[in-house]
Amino acid sequence: MDKQKVAILWLGSCGGCDETIVDINELILGVVNSVELVLWPVALDFKYHHIEKMADGEIALGIINGHVRNSEQAELAHLMRKKSQVILAFGACACFGGTPGLANLRSKEDIFNWVYREAPTVINPKGVYPQTKCNIDGKELTLPNMLESVYSLDQVIDVDYYLPGCPPPPYLVLKAFTAFLENTLPAKGSSLASHKALCDTCPLNASKPDKIALTEIKRIHEVEADPTKCFLSQGILCMGPATRSGCGETCININIPCRGCFGPIEMVEDSGAKYLSGLASMIDVDDEADLQNISTQVRDAMGYLYRFSLPISIMERKKL
Amino acid sequence: MKENEPKIVCFSCRFSWGYLVDEDDIYAKVENWIPIICTGKVDPVHILTAFRNGADGVLILGCPEGDCHYQDGNIEARKRINLLYNVLQSYGIDKKRLKLHLGTDPEGKTISSLVKEMADDVRKLGPSLKATSKQEKVTT
Amino acid sequence: MTKKITINPITRLEGHGKIDIFVDDKGNVEDAFWQVVELRGFERFCLGRPAEEMPRITPNICGVCPTPHNMAATKALDDLYSVSPTETAKLVRQLQYNAFMLEDHFIHFFFLSAPDFVVGPIANPALRNIVGVIQKAGIDVGKKVIDIRKRCREIMTLIGSKPAHPEGGLPGGVPRGVKEEERVWIKQTANDAVAMTQFALDIFKDVVLKNKEYVDLVMNDAYRLQTYYMGLVDDSGNVSFYDGTIRIVDPAGKEYAHFHPSDYIEHIGEWVEPWTYVRLTHLRKVGWGGLVEGDNTSLYRVGPLARLNVAKDMATPLAQKEYEQMYNILGEKPSHHTLAFHWARLIEALQAAETMKQIAENPMLTGNEIRNMNLKLKKVGIGCVEAARGTLIHHYETDDNGLLTKVNLIVATQHNAAPICMSVKKAAKKFVKGTEVEEGFLNMVEMAFRAYDPCLACATHSLNKRMPVELNIRKQDGSILRTIRSE
Repeated sequence: MDKQKVAILWLGSCGGCDETIVDINELILGVVNSVELVLWPVALDFKYHHIEKMADGEIALGIINGHVRNSEQAELAHLMRKKSQVILAFGACACFGGTPGLANLRSKEDIFNWVYREAPTVINPKGVYPQTKCNIDGKELTLPNMLESVYSLDQVIDVDYYLPGCPPPPYLVLKAFTAFLENTLPAKGSSLASHKALCDTCPLNASKPDKIALTEIKRIHEVEADPTKCFLSQGILCMGPATRSGCGETCININIPCRGCFGPIEMVEDSGAKYLSGLASMIDVDDEADLQNISTQVRDAMGYLYRFSLPISIMERKKL
Repeated sequence: MKENEPKIVCFSCRFSWGYLVDEDDIYAKVENWIPIICTGKVDPVHILTAFRNGADGVLILGCPEGDCHYQDGNIEARKRINLLYNVLQSYGIDKKRLKLHLGTDPEGKTISSLVKEMADDVRKLGPSLKATSKQEKVTT
Repeated sequence: MTKKITINPITRLEGHGKIDIFVDDKGNVEDAFWQVVELRGFERFCLGRPAEEMPRITPNICGVCPTPHNMAATKALDDLYSVSPTETAKLVRQLQYNAFMLEDHFIHFFFLSAPDFVVGPIANPALRNIVGVIQKAGIDVGKKVIDIRKRCREIMTLIGSKPAHPEGGLPGGVPRGVKEEERVWIKQTANDAVAMTQFALDIFKDVVLKNKEYVDLVMNDAYRLQTYYMGLVDDSGNVSFYDGTIRIVDPAGKEYAHFHPSDYIEHIGEWVEPWTYVRLTHLRKVGWGGLVEGDNTSLYRVGPLARLNVAKDMATPLAQKEYEQMYNILGEKPSHHTLAFHWARLIEALQAAETMKQIAENPMLTGNEIRNMNLKLKKVGIGCVEAARGTLIHHYETDDNGLLTKVNLIVATQHNAAPICMSVKKAAKKFVKGTEVEEGFLNMVEMAFRAYDPCLACATHSLNKRMPVELNIRKQDGSILRTIRSE
């Protein structure tokens, strides 16, 4: 029997989602021997035109990591959708936009202006910007166009499954591969991770008091956090309550609070908004002045709430 | 001109605002009026959705302090709104566009004037930033 | 009429890029452009973020070398808060950092560069991968390499939460220390790492240095580029990854500059070209001179060979022996032979392994004092480390609340961007002749950039034995003139 074709493509990606696949180590041998890898630009020499030549749906599983931030990435996403039966959005960037999604708080012009003109080390006497098309001594060179916003994968193409995480941990990657090979993938649209919040599996959950009543919010570098107590109960912002479980609490284990890389919990539209309600209920101040004071102590609400998920939030971006 | 009239979404709690009159009377006078059973039910999701859908301002009318039928729903609302201000600011939405007003008006007579007052405040800020005019085509 | 050959995407490399090669009527390469096709804007969307979040945000710049970003950010925080890490914290950080350098260098050698030498640069592409290496060197080799990588990454997980995107790093310390029972297996890993790195060097010497053809390749002018060199050195002037001062030598080896990283703006300029999104760093005081090498160059290189070129010695004894042997054989210091980056990389891996061993045996590693809480915000912080690929600088400025108002990042890839372009062009000019382009040429050109960038570990590179390579030669109007396919 012919092996099923699997393609791994990176869009606006840092490479971490590809590293995590390698972190399966020797276990991947069994998986990969069962399929035919037809694309993995970071590791194999297949080019995009190999995919272009394939028949529609010829690829059984198309794994895409990275967000969409330029024209070429959008085109490649569409190409993969056409050629693949199943598309898996792999990693926080593909699922939610990822950390670079915070660029939706700024304009493309603002970014270009700093990067190519204003940054202190830039030397650019003619104020040159990279061009989608330019001519150097009669030679034409092209670059993809950078889009105005960052997009999650499902804002560009139809996505069948989601594997969250920054990056997804190797055990979940293996689980996803296995489900695919054994034909036991859940309903279309599912996230291939727990449906519960991080707090449910967090080792510090047992230390949580019945009621958290905060009068102060503290930043992680200002205190020596107690590694045996729930961060929120110490007044340290942790995104656990609004974040999907499945990472193994790797950050909690090194005494650092969660920042939400597994994204919203099942059926939550906007995890930042949900978290705000939860945080409000933990705040125990009486008067207006104290309330304003503690609100100010949340120094960067946007950055905490939407670190990985700004592009898929209700507002999607700062309006310009 | 009608297009320039700021669109205000008004959530008001039925326990203190207009509970003596027919809802239809208030619907007739106040555009985008949403009666609720407690301001504690207003989630930041609702507020953000209102802004997302074109609201220029959001007004929330709740019960006086100490008078919440569900004990502290109005207090929770106040806390949420204070926290939400930070987020709105990052989105480029001025604080003045979101307001919580605690009080009581059984006949609901002042609701429309409170909405108008908010509209006046908000009008001074100019129209709320809408989606960027350059809509990028990323889907087929 | 000029014909354009496009390789898109370039593969077996971290980063998104393409190469355009222009061939004239006579079949000679007129020009070649290595283009970076992406920009994300970290320097802008980090504004308004609390500075202490940067060790967690900046690793998302790169998933192959997130640890350097995490470390540069942490050191920038030390500077920002005018605080020195405790002795134990420093050891914990350096343990994590050297574990990273080792596994990254190691994987690059075995899965990326070794195939070109162990199997051969123009050998059948189906064998020009780890499978070919294992066939020649034995299956145990492959298993040992995966094992060492795994165990180094276990150290990184212990200290940093996860190897791809570490999350620790606080001003003046680390959030989690190391326990005595953990020291046991860390020591074992370090010892095995030293042995494994020496073994890798033996392979390199057996396969490359004893083969005249390869030695000629290493010394070939197509792979030689005369530039300045930059790297961190410690107080004794030796190769340093975690800390130190920046030293630059000119193509003849004379010291050009030696300064504290805080003064980087004085020396480094970023030039902008319309055909690439990456800014091209160069020596500011020399002034951008274009893509030229030698006497009039303003370009410098970073990374393993550059670090060895600028240093007086290695910082550890076994690595030092290898260093001396390398320069004896290369016959010049600084060495301009790009392919020697591979060799230098292994010598650095040995230093990383030896350093891990030293730290693992240091009683202070498991000390209790992991945080220095004496923080004084000074609103400017600059942190510098040597990433596997080269010098990395994070520069933060904040308001009175420690929220970022300005961010400038000089990322390792940038320093080598212009030199990579030149290396690709040189190799293309040497190995591409006419429109009859052999498949092997592709690899010879790719070898020119591969030497610079440690790449994503290619454990699965071994799992697909077919690596079809297709090259389209297009006319100016885009239509295909000829297709060459390997298989």
